[in-house]
Amino acid sequence: MTRMTAAQSCEQAVQALPFRLRREALALSEEDKRRAEEFRLRVGWSMSVVLDGAERSLGGPPVRGEELEQLVEIASRASLHTVLDQVRRGYLTVEGGHRIGLCGTAVLQEGEIRSLRALSSANLRIARQVRGAAAPILDGLCPGGRLAGTLILAPPGLGKTTLLRDLIRSVSEGEGCAPLRVSLADERGEVAALYSGCPQLDVGWRTDVVEGCPKAQGLMLLLRAMNPQVLAVDEVTAPEDVKALMTAAGCGVTLLATAHGEGRTDLECRSLYRPLLEEGLFRFLVRIRREGERRVYMVEELST
Amino acid sequence: MIRLIGAALVAAGGAWLGLRAADGLRRRAVALRQMEAGLALLEQELELSASPLPRLMAWGAGHSQGPAAELFRGCAQGLDRLDRESFSALWRRLTAEREELGVEGQAVLLPLGDTLGRCDARRQREALSATRRRLEELAVRQEADSRRQGRAYQALGLSGGAFLVILLL
Repeated sequence: MTRMTAAQSCEQAVQALPFRLRREALALSEEDKRRAEEFRLRVGWSMSVVLDGAERSLGGPPVRGEELEQLVEIASRASLHTVLDQVRRGYLTVEGGHRIGLCGTAVLQEGEIRSLRALSSANLRIARQVRGAAAPILDGLCPGGRLAGTLILAPPGLGKTTLLRDLIRSVSEGEGCAPLRVSLADERGEVAALYSGCPQLDVGWRTDVVEGCPKAQGLMLLLRAMNPQVLAVDEVTAPEDVKALMTAAGCGVTLLATAHGEGRTDLECRSLYRPLLEEGLFRFLVRIRREGERRVYMVEELST
Repeated sequence: MIRLIGAALVAAGGAWLGLRAADGLRRRAVALRQMEAGLALLEQELELSASPLPRLMAWGAGHSQGPAAELFRGCAQGLDRLDRESFSALWRRLTAEREELGVEGQAVLLPLGDTLGRCDARRQREALSATRRRLEELAVRQEADSRRQGRAYQALGLSGGAFLVILLL
């Protein structure tokens, strides 16, 4: 797997843009390319870039509707039929694991989104892997050198997925802990970002990934089919996910998951997460805090 | 003697022109049949594996003949430059280059560029199938024309040549 600098990731991501917009994006300084998180395209407005959370217009000619269609054509390699499921969910993954979110008029059939037409805006999220992100907390999460059940808890945008990905990679590679077989239910393709069957983000060589299927179903499929030692899932959001995790824990699999929330009290107050604590599915809770550009991880042992 | 040779050459020239015109009609019908067969292959492959368009075109180029192979090969290559030319524009441009299909054949093929790669697999297969049927109808018509007009062109060429010989002698 090729290792890229942040600026190189940005340059790779903008390959999905139509020629004119790509030229605009590539005209950014090296420093801006390094800091760029997203490019946002809205019909009738100049393309903008998100740098450290703040959006800045690039001041070019307004984005046209045809350019958004061209973006989808480039991203799907003129093969919409191969990515229609993703488009129905409102995004497309491109080579490198970069993500294109789409907005427009939904075409409904029997109450379900069948496709999007008349695209109105899009955002291109640059996928970045932070290797070693999990290193400072690995010791704490691996008593006796083996990973224990861990729940990563933080509000959106603080890097839960980034930390989860690096934990999976470390455990799968046996970096700083005993190597274990990991199975990942990556419903939205944000952790491993499969592209033509190949993870675009490094999740380790002992990792099996199921993508695009609802988490609960994905977890059960992995449990039946892949005989995992660790089962990982990003964003536990539904009672079915909790139920699937409980079944997996009953089979002796170590769980690794993320959830939205501020802290332990938040977990205890929400009926969705309470069973996770009551059943003692996780031994450790990792919370994330932002300090300037840095992320600080706090590990807490959960007692039942 | 020289007059006789000249007369024979004029007669042969007239006959050759007639045969060539007849052969042109026959070739067009063959090209339309090859294109029809190429589209049938794409349709089958799309049904079996729902391949992405670049792979579908490359596969079609390798398994088709005549204008179909050329068109699919050009498309497979052009799909690397989607940031500069959309697939529908590429398809239109390359179809217009396939003169052996004739204006009618090209007109039948053109709308396919707006469907391939832009819809779900089922709709693409339907579009391929509809285009294939229209090409088949056109090919049948061309074959009938080729038989009927081909004979007329051959007769015209021969009789024209003979007429010139009579005039010259």
